[in-house]
Amino acid sequence: MGKIIAVHSYKGGTGKTSLSVNLAATYARSGKKVCLMDLDFRAPSLHALFKDYETDYWLNDYLNGVCEIDKVLVDATKDHGNGGKLMVGLANPSTEAIRDMTAKDRKWEMKALGRLLSLRSSVLNDGGFDFIIFDTSPGLQYSSINAIVTADVVLVVTSLDASDINGSQRMTSELYDLFEKKTGILVNKVIADYLSSPEEEKKFNKYIKSVHSLPILAVIPCFCEVLRAAGDFIFSEEKPDHPFTETLEQLANKVEKF
Amino acid sequence: MTYRKLEGKSTQILEKIRENLEKLNEKIDVMIEIQKHGQREIPENLPEALDVMTLLSLPDHLRKTAVTLCKLEKATADDVAEQTKRARAVESGYLNQLVIMGYMKKEREGRKAYFCVNKED
Repeated sequence: MGKIIAVHSYKGGTGKTSLSVNLAATYARSGKKVCLMDLDFRAPSLHALFKDYETDYWLNDYLNGVCEIDKVLVDATKDHGNGGKLMVGLANPSTEAIRDMTAKDRKWEMKALGRLLSLRSSVLNDGGFDFIIFDTSPGLQYSSINAIVTADVVLVVTSLDASDINGSQRMTSELYDLFEKKTGILVNKVIADYLSSPEEEKKFNKYIKSVHSLPILAVIPCFCEVLRAAGDFIFSEEKPDHPFTETLEQLANKVEKF
Repeated sequence: MTYRKLEGKSTQILEKIRENLEKLNEKIDVMIEIQKHGQREIPENLPEALDVMTLLSLPDHLRKTAVTLCKLEKATADDVAEQTKRARAVESGYLNQLVIMGYMKKEREGRKAYFCVNKED
């Protein structure tokens, strides 16, 4: 049976989108059927990466009940399948759509949760997909909590910023634990100095385990090359032998068995 | 033959007793809620949105039941109990509490009572 993965973080700019995209590409490369969805309706991003794909309907429309999910998903397999299948659901980046999504009431959010929950049946069961990956908005937003409730696994991306660590700790006890979700931490953008030798790495791993009560699924070094990709292409696709890609492959395996 | 008839009769009686006990349980739940909050504060089945922020504010035991029902959309206490691995009677109590709080609707179809999230405006 397929899995729904929500990639979340307390703060913005932690690398959720980059990791969501590269994780999706990694699964596709291993022959899986993957569906990547942009649930960050306040600051949509995936449309910029998948700019060559035209769509008449957005995930906003699906949640609004305007259309079903098959009308929203664009097939990126030709360019990004690499042996598997990659479909993408985009969030509408227009100012009007963002304004509309931020003005929704509780009743609408409740219905949106129902629409997200039914993706398990339409995409995973009927569509035969192996994974749905939700790229969410940071913090305690309706859309991200809806995604967390829907997901089987939550991946929390955190930097080493003190406020980010503190926020992730609070979200663990006040959000992920309350919904009894399988949750793992991805420490992203780790400075190379911390991983410069096996001793340093051991010391760093000990420290990170002491600050997070959740399992650490990946420690991802800060690579200038990845930053240089600047959301313009899928790094792990272009550089299959790079250490970043290797880390993503290890992460993909762990999440599959998680 | 007579033995089988008797057996069938006692099953019917037991079933009736179970139904009546369930109804009693529901009434006791209402009384407990009234005692806790006072008659005026009870929303009397007024629909309340069961959004994620509300789910977060519920006590742990009710949240588990409510999230399970959100996933199942429409279910009996038996269906919910199967998912949560808690006793059917426990889930029945929690589901009825959620109905009293206005988050869920209860519909009877024959002998079975189905619960669903209140999506009416």
